[in-house]
Amino acid sequence: MKKDKEQIDNSPMPRREFFRKISKAIAGAGVLALGGAAATKVKGNKSASLYWQIDPEKCTQCGRCETSCVMPVSAVRCIHANKVCGYCDLCGGYYRTNAKELNTAAENMICPTGAIQRKFVEDPYFEYTIDEDLCNGCGKCVKGCSSFGNGSLFLQIRQDLCLNCNECSIANVCASGAITRVPYETAYKMKDQA
Amino acid sequence: MKKNIYRNIAIVTAIFALTLSIMLITNYFQVRKATPLQTEVVQTLKELNDVNADNLQLQEQIRQLDLLSRRAYFVQRSHLKTGLYLLLGMLGVLLVCLRLYYSGVKDIPEKEIDHLDDWLIQSKARKYVLGGAGAVAVAALVFAFLSSPYYSSLGERRAQKKALAQQEEFEAPQEEIFDAESFDPAQLTADATAPETEAPEEETAPQEESQTEEAASEEPVVEQPVISTVTHNAFRGNNSNGQSNARGVPVNWDLSAGSNIAWKVSVAKPGFNSPVLNGRNVFLTGADASARELYCYDLLTGELRWTLAADGIAGSPSTMPTVNGDTGLAASSVATNGSQVCAIFATGDIICADIDGNRLWAKNLGVPDNHYGFASSLLIYGGEVIVQYDNDSDGKLIALNLSNGNVRWTKSRTEKATWSSPIIAYIDGKAQLVVMGNPALTAYNPDNGEMLWKVDCMSGEVGASPCSSNGIVYGASEYASLVAVNAQDGSLLWEANDYLPEVSSPVATKDYVYVATSYGMLIAYDASNGEILAEQDLGTQFYCSPMLVEGKIYIFGTEGNMYIFSNDGKLTLLRTIQTGEPTFATPAFTDGKIVVRSTESLYCVSAS
Amino acid sequence: MKKFLNSLVLLLAGWKAAAISRFPRPDFESGYQYPEYTYAVPNEMLWDIIDVAMLLILMGIVTWALYKKRTRGPILWSSVVSVAYFGFFRGGCVCSVGSIQNVALAFVDNSYSLPLAVFLFFMIPILGAFLFGRVFCSGVCPLGALQDLVNVKNYRINKAVAGALSVIPWIYLAFALLYALTRTRFIICQFDPFIGIFRLGGDIGMIAFGVILLVMSVFTGRPFCRFLCPYGALLSIFSSVSVFKIGITPKPCINCELCHNSCPVDAIEAPYGNKVNESNRTGVKRLLAYMLIIPVLMAAGGLLMRQAAPQLARANREVRLYSQVMYFEDHPDGEMIPEVEAFYSQGRTLEDLISSYEEVHKDFRLYGTLAGMLIGLVIGVKLVRLSLKRGRKQYEIAHSRCVACGKCFSYCPQNRVKAKVN
Repeated sequence: MKKDKEQIDNSPMPRREFFRKISKAIAGAGVLALGGAAATKVKGNKSASLYWQIDPEKCTQCGRCETSCVMPVSAVRCIHANKVCGYCDLCGGYYRTNAKELNTAAENMICPTGAIQRKFVEDPYFEYTIDEDLCNGCGKCVKGCSSFGNGSLFLQIRQDLCLNCNECSIANVCASGAITRVPYETAYKMKDQA
Repeated sequence: MKKNIYRNIAIVTAIFALTLSIMLITNYFQVRKATPLQTEVVQTLKELNDVNADNLQLQEQIRQLDLLSRRAYFVQRSHLKTGLYLLLGMLGVLLVCLRLYYSGVKDIPEKEIDHLDDWLIQSKARKYVLGGAGAVAVAALVFAFLSSPYYSSLGERRAQKKALAQQEEFEAPQEEIFDAESFDPAQLTADATAPETEAPEEETAPQEESQTEEAASEEPVVEQPVISTVTHNAFRGNNSNGQSNARGVPVNWDLSAGSNIAWKVSVAKPGFNSPVLNGRNVFLTGADASARELYCYDLLTGELRWTLAADGIAGSPSTMPTVNGDTGLAASSVATNGSQVCAIFATGDIICADIDGNRLWAKNLGVPDNHYGFASSLLIYGGEVIVQYDNDSDGKLIALNLSNGNVRWTKSRTEKATWSSPIIAYIDGKAQLVVMGNPALTAYNPDNGEMLWKVDCMSGEVGASPCSSNGIVYGASEYASLVAVNAQDGSLLWEANDYLPEVSSPVATKDYVYVATSYGMLIAYDASNGEILAEQDLGTQFYCSPMLVEGKIYIFGTEGNMYIFSNDGKLTLLRTIQTGEPTFATPAFTDGKIVVRSTESLYCVSAS
Repeated sequence: MKKFLNSLVLLLAGWKAAAISRFPRPDFESGYQYPEYTYAVPNEMLWDIIDVAMLLILMGIVTWALYKKRTRGPILWSSVVSVAYFGFFRGGCVCSVGSIQNVALAFVDNSYSLPLAVFLFFMIPILGAFLFGRVFCSGVCPLGALQDLVNVKNYRINKAVAGALSVIPWIYLAFALLYALTRTRFIICQFDPFIGIFRLGGDIGMIAFGVILLVMSVFTGRPFCRFLCPYGALLSIFSSVSVFKIGITPKPCINCELCHNSCPVDAIEAPYGNKVNESNRTGVKRLLAYMLIIPVLMAAGGLLMRQAAPQLARANREVRLYSQVMYFEDHPDGEMIPEVEAFYSQGRTLEDLISSYEEVHKDFRLYGTLAGMLIGLVIGVKLVRLSLKRGRKQYEIAHSRCVACGKCFSYCPQNRVKAKVN
């Protein structure tokens, strides 16, 4: 006790100084090692896993995209691949399954927000377009189009809307595990893209 | 002065911010509770409209509601957004004011500082850390105990224990039965000379003394229908192992004279599959080009309880696959567990019924690519039915969920077509699913299909099934060899090549392995080294598999002679019973009864 | 919106064979042209550069203010900029705190490629802490800055309690690593209390928690940083041995006691003459006992976590799916939840699921054991540190706790003298 105290009082604490230097060196080496090890895992921006995206092949349209996104309106929107579309009059993504008449009356439409617009092209073809300001990513039309149609409607995370959360709250609840991190090249998984 | 202004602004903004946030929170929950676009009302109305034709009023209602809910949705959306920005702005103002109000304030010690005792603080902190860590650890332990499999599946474990106990129960009497010393073959040979009616009485007499319980359940069989608990759930008995712990099994009967024959019926459609019995039900199948059927007969009366046709199955071929006459369309025996029964046919159709003949599910596994015809029997293990689906193009082992027919697991096999059937071998209390194949004898975990071991030892056309006893699995096939494999690690113990079975499957006790060949030889091998202990040339043909029952070996020759041998490695022929009806199927045994399927009939031998 | 500013555009071309075609592609006679849609992909590269530049600039400003100017003004403004830019404008992602998990994930998952920006966000603050102390925490981290900005009063938390609670960030770190290494989820991000506030939306529970923390931080300094932040725990190692160290004043301390209450995170330690009434031997014995107990604690922690592994693994998607599918297999008449439906529709086999289920369990057992050992180690080291007796003759900064906010500077009369002389 006494000796200890003397040391504190008198000596410039060389022992503590020594420990400090050692720990400094260890910490420095730690920073280097950690940085070096992590640096080997770094990928350039083109191939780094930066974006969240839905794989339309896996998606089962459970409807959680609409409600689980951190944004007030989900960043998931419906996308229409015109080149896959059959341009049918009786569209499985446009009309409800039991639609009585093929008109735009509310009781016949699938889309709850009226975000799908259609335009007559030529007999018997109709062009369908998504109004993305109205779409909320509920996936009802996608379900319709997948079960009765070519599957040209599908859900995608709009990268210009997505906040790129480090932990995607939709991916956490996604029923089919369809949402994964993708690199820049495949930021969209398009159905009409090679 | 300035300070007061800041303070007042702060108070006002605080009140506003509080009110606004309360409003926003209520709004948030309202929106969340009634997501306007998913309102049940609109949905039900739409569904109502689907059934009601041209109800204009209803349609109008839907349109109005839809519009309303859409407007509500978008308005609320924009309200929430504006509200949040407003709130944020207010909070910002509040914060700035608060900071300005307190800007000059410093946390200067007001009075003289009473110096803190660092050591005291540290000691306290140490106590808190220790206490906290201990509390967390205890909580974690309690939680782990409560939710660990030990606790939550206590019931499950009890059930498992029970099953295991039953298993042991099943194995224990076997040893007793097969103990050759306890059985006196001399008595039986003596009986053979005695009047026929006396034989069974004397046979059962010593048992009545030693095991009154068993005898009590056995004796009244004729008078009142007491059902034996001894089952024969699959081809060659439970677990397809060629053994039964039935007692009081008849050793003499006369089919043509009808003595000791409880009943005899003819089966509607032919099939080489063996009868299977559980409780009061006897199951078997029959098939021809027109139909494939599963039959259930009453064990006591022989009455056909029900017939279930395997028809209308998606994927079932319209034309029958070409099969050999020796195989037929219904060579596979059914499997049951007492509440369900499954049957498979050469078309790849598998059906499952409850014991009252109600079809539970059916599916087609694809027509097996098999040049003689599919012949592997089914086996039920736990909640799954196992199909050895070996064929020339895509052989696999399939476990189907017994309750719905969904695939629990599959294991693809490189084997060529085989006609052998899977067995369950209990090794150290754990079940192994053992199957023969060309070129290997393989054991799998029946729970998930994981391969446990594999011994490359087979070749040619593998028709016989394996058997197991005392931790050793035996497999044998003509033009290959008889092998004994240590089922713990899959190591080969010995191999023998002298007499090998073609169709008939071997059976084993802890001392002996019995093999019946298609040229009429019955061989007893030493289970420890594969040496031949005894051989019997019966001058017949064995397609039926030997069954070990009550310390005796029961086997039919194809011409219809039942041979009963002693199970003592000496193969003493105890009795030959001529039935006169060609028999290929292995009979089913229960207490006091044998159910035999010949090519002509199905009959039940019962000790009167 | 903001991402439009510098968005590259992805042109859609080609044809994907995998699409179903129940209805043939129409033959248009009217010369109809397929509309060309373009979907914007924000150029993250540019934002990454800006983010990293902002990080460096803000850290530079803070360091400069701390070491050169010895004033808090720029730090305050840096905090405002950080909250505005990293917080509200960039939505809080990716932050250094969360980047721990990305780095951990990159080590185990080869399919995950660590973006350069994330790496830099992970390393730069650590490097900064090693060189200058926790300059990142003071005015660059939006989470810390937000708490710092709302802090107006400073009520002290019982020192012993605060000391004990400082173990929590390490435990949090161990769990965060466990869940990241098992590819389960990023719990730091999922349970980030402030991100919902920055984004004006998200999980209501977490926002409520964030509000509670902010209300707390009005009255006491940085509760999240002190008692929760796992990255702060990591930085504290490096800051405690940093090359350059911040002092309350570069001049000798005159023990005026004015700074005694100034520190919001209680990192200023008052002079203390070691007057413990106990023999030297008892102290050494205790110290040795606690040192020897470390392996025991590690083993206990490891065992405990290994035991808990199946429970912990429930958070994993595959494990959850396994139990859901198994439940369905046993109750085939029950309702088919979307997960089970997806499982069957993707044509996955039970065998495949079982093997990945077992894989996850194996991972959880391994990393759970390691995490448990880490927790045991941390508790052990904490106990050892708490049984060290050390006297001080003047006011000193505990560098592991100091978040370099610079509040104490204005309290020190020595600093004022200097300012006047200049």
